Amino acid sequence: MNLRTGFLLSVVATLGVACTQPAPVQDSGVGSDASVDDVPPVDVRLPPAAAYVPNHPRLRRLTRAQYTNSIRDVFDETLIVPRSLEPDKRPEGSSSIGGTETTISQRGTEQYQDAAYDLAEQILRNPMRRAMYVRCTPAGVRDDACAGTFLRTYGRRLWRRPVTEAELATMVAISGRAAEALMDFHRGLEFGLSTILQSPNFLFREEIGTIRGAERRYERYELASRLSFFLWNGPPDDALLDAAEMNQLQGDTLAGHVDRLIQSPKLRRGLDAFVTDWLRLEELDFISRDATLFPAFSADFGPSAREEVLRTIAWIVLERDGDFRDVLTTRESFVNRKLASIYGIPFPTRGAGPTQFERVTFSPAQPRRGILGMAAFLALEAHPTSTSPTLRGKYVRELILCEAVPPPPIGVNTAIPEPNPNARTLRERLEVHQEVTSCRGCHRFLDNIGLGFENFDALGRFRREDNGATIDPSGSIDSTPFADPSSMATALRENPSFPRCVVNRQRRRAAAPGARAARALVRRRRLSPARIAPRDGARRGVSTCERPRGSAAAAPADTGRRRDGRGQRRHARRHARRH
Amino acid sequence: MKPLSRRTILRGTVGGLAAAVALPWLEAMTNTTRRARANGSFPKRFGVWFFGNGVIPEQWTPAVEGAMWQPSPLMMPLSTIKQHLCVVTGTRVNTLNTTPHGSGPAGLFSGDSLSGSEFTQGSSFRAATFDQRIAEAVGGDTRFRSLETAVQPAQYGISHAGPNMRLPIEPDPRRLFNRLFGEGFRAPGDMTMPDPRLSLRRSVLDAVAGQSRTLAARVGVEDRRRLDAHFTAVRAIEQQIARLESNPPNLASCRRPDMPPESIPDVMGRPDMRTKSRIMSELLAMAMACDTSRVFFHMYSQPVNNTLFPAATSGHHQLTHDEGGAQPQVGTILRYIMEDFATFVNTLARIPEGDETLLDHTLVMLTTDCSFGRTHSVDEYPMIFAGGRSHGLRRNTHLRARGENASKVSLSIMQMMGLRVAEFGMGAGRVTEPLAGLTT
Repeated sequence: MNLRTGFLLSVVATLGVACTQPAPVQDSGVGSDASVDDVPPVDVRLPPAAAYVPNHPRLRRLTRAQYTNSIRDVFDETLIVPRSLEPDKRPEGSSSIGGTETTISQRGTEQYQDAAYDLAEQILRNPMRRAMYVRCTPAGVRDDACAGTFLRTYGRRLWRRPVTEAELATMVAISGRAAEALMDFHRGLEFGLSTILQSPNFLFREEIGTIRGAERRYERYELASRLSFFLWNGPPDDALLDAAEMNQLQGDTLAGHVDRLIQSPKLRRGLDAFVTDWLRLEELDFISRDATLFPAFSADFGPSAREEVLRTIAWIVLERDGDFRDVLTTRESFVNRKLASIYGIPFPTRGAGPTQFERVTFSPAQPRRGILGMAAFLALEAHPTSTSPTLRGKYVRELILCEAVPPPPIGVNTAIPEPNPNARTLRERLEVHQEVTSCRGCHRFLDNIGLGFENFDALGRFRREDNGATIDPSGSIDSTPFADPSSMATALRENPSFPRCVVNRQRRRAAAPGARAARALVRRRRLSPARIAPRDGARRGVSTCERPRGSAAAAPADTGRRRDGRGQRRHARRHARRH
Repeated sequence: MKPLSRRTILRGTVGGLAAAVALPWLEAMTNTTRRARANGSFPKRFGVWFFGNGVIPEQWTPAVEGAMWQPSPLMMPLSTIKQHLCVVTGTRVNTLNTTPHGSGPAGLFSGDSLSGSEFTQGSSFRAATFDQRIAEAVGGDTRFRSLETAVQPAQYGISHAGPNMRLPIEPDPRRLFNRLFGEGFRAPGDMTMPDPRLSLRRSVLDAVAGQSRTLAARVGVEDRRRLDAHFTAVRAIEQQIARLESNPPNLASCRRPDMPPESIPDVMGRPDMRTKSRIMSELLAMAMACDTSRVFFHMYSQPVNNTLFPAATSGHHQLTHDEGGAQPQVGTILRYIMEDFATFVNTLARIPEGDETLLDHTLVMLTTDCSFGRTHSVDEYPMIFAGGRSHGLRRNTHLRARGENASKVSLSIMQMMGLRVAEFGMGAGRVTEPLAGLTT
């Protein structure tokens, strides 16, 4: 599967959701266009149509990135777009789904208000911008015709549809009254522009369509928005809006526009939005590390690590047009000086700033390969002072293979032994996860992968030893053994779940089904309830990950044993229901 | 005329405020009439002070019940403010405990179980949290219906205005300052003419509200609910502006606090929770003293937070699970958090209001996301109340409420804040009576 294919398959999804029962991919016209020459035979079958709840049409609130992209596309790149906006919500790791659920809080409304006035001032008080965007010369302090021309033009671009006469009249009146009160035409116009920017018609994408028989048909402007937000993570441009206006978004013309959108440099933004959600890159803003253990950690670590992932994937997908699975095994990467020093490689350019990234190639002697060898993943799934094989394994299970991992049962004693002469490495200390049956059910799926990354510390630096003992990075993914992170990357690349996972996530991003439907797309691993809640554990009311020592101190001091036992059984039942 | 309107009138005259919410208790008629007159003009506030990752129940619960109580080992930093406290132990969250760190707050604050199987920044409760129900009832008189703040950086808090309406939080002291005391803040007694642009902004909001209504007519039921929330928020901001145009209440202790620094640098690569907590405490206290808001939800640290506290060898969450034995490191972290809570309480206690203090007129609830951090149990739910003299809180006591439904506490608080509610919660979380013994 090369990425072009992946993208096009997903475009099919965007268009395909026009039907309440999405057609199989191979039946779609655009889908067959996608069979590009050297696509390796990879099973990218999507789940049966029944697995999708028909795309339920919901208003989608703009994400922060979509808000910023809208302003920059409609006006210009040099505007400073306020960053304090209602935060994105990512249920099931998807801001796309989040956009269909979330509303706008009072605080968010205040922030959108502040942003609107801030932007209106930047646009209408700067003489150069004013000349560029207000093309008429006002006849006086109040000139409704001139105000109307401006508001009609930018209303259409920002609302992604024509502004009705009634809507326009209201905003012209607001601008006129403000102009008279402030004795200035352009100051008055700021209030009209602010109305456009605070409007739900801007902040929410209305892509609802109408039901005709078994199909849901999107109205032409809605279709234009669906396409541009999916591929560009931003609003339709004039060409797309014009095509919608002339009712041309069908057949060959539609295919031509899809092609045009895919050729545009703005495609990178659509890709970035997908990757950011998929790999949870926004969380890099919130990590911290012990400065004594990790002197290399600083505030620019998170943004640098995120940039590396985005640039490398964009390089494979958009520049090399390569096989998407290469993101796991590539030896190429993009690093700045900070990352180069963490990876222990020379940085090509002297005197480069933190925003300067260079393409580098890791030598085959190094185990560092692909996105799972990058600081972003390695640091995200680690603790402030140490690594976490469990978190790293969970990330691979959930994000690379699309398998759901249940939370630990309530009432489990999770203590692990401190480093000691018998158990120096984390692998040895985590042996309890494998020995105690209640832990083993889940942890063998997690730790067997996660321990393979132990050669990388909590910042992503390479190391051979842990507490003075040599690290053993071998492990297995289900029945496939691997010797080190490099061979694990190869094993994951060949795992048929991986491409299916990526395509499903991409499709989910396009269709934005409800969170419940989205969960149905994730494969639930079969876990025997007996393994989760062993009988003896349930009887004692607690289950423990500490080695059974028979000491009272090992048992939690909690007083509510009976209830904990009940919680355990519920946990088991929930597992049972999933099968 | 009903007796309770007397207090309403009193407040209306003295405070220069619009008609207040009806207050169903008869304190003004029964006890200490003198104090009621002197302090009747001060509004009752409520706030939550929340930290993540639970406690160690064995070291948390004080040994002695009732007025003879002494702080437990984990509460030692609270010894000096003991007289302001009511420690409540033994209650439990009765709704399903399926999701570590999420089920507890969902049950306690919304009275219902958590929707979905995970608790992340993307999750939501099924119902509004009780602090927001209080805000809805008493927040109409103030510039901000409620304030959601944090020390540890995060985007969303615990408060929900409704299902799927989880409220964002403000973790940045400078931004909080600008919101509360920057443009738009009018010091008490400020009689200058309001900015003429304010009324223009109101006309813009009016148009936006109209657009929201028009759009709502075209969409499904679920989307209409979301647009209603937006519509309500727009109207609330119109009211905020209207309040700016009127003269602010003349509250003696209100002043504009010092502007906080733009950022608070880490100390040895660890977040400076102490400094940031102190600054946020001062801003929140002054917001209450200026009657900018009467309800807050302050999130010291998040559920599952892995904050690196001073001298700890690992992050907080990691330690709650990995550390064996009596968990001495977790204990040290919890005492550090209690020190910061004590600072918060003292900040309120230092601000005079009449012949009492801001703390007397503020009911503060300290709580967390589970009982024992290591096992995620929700029995023995940790709670401490502070202040709340005007709410009738029984103070300087340890109230042991073994096996009681934690929802009773939530219902009690709503009633103490004057809400006419007779029940709270759904299913196993539903209660129809308050917790006995919480009030005098």
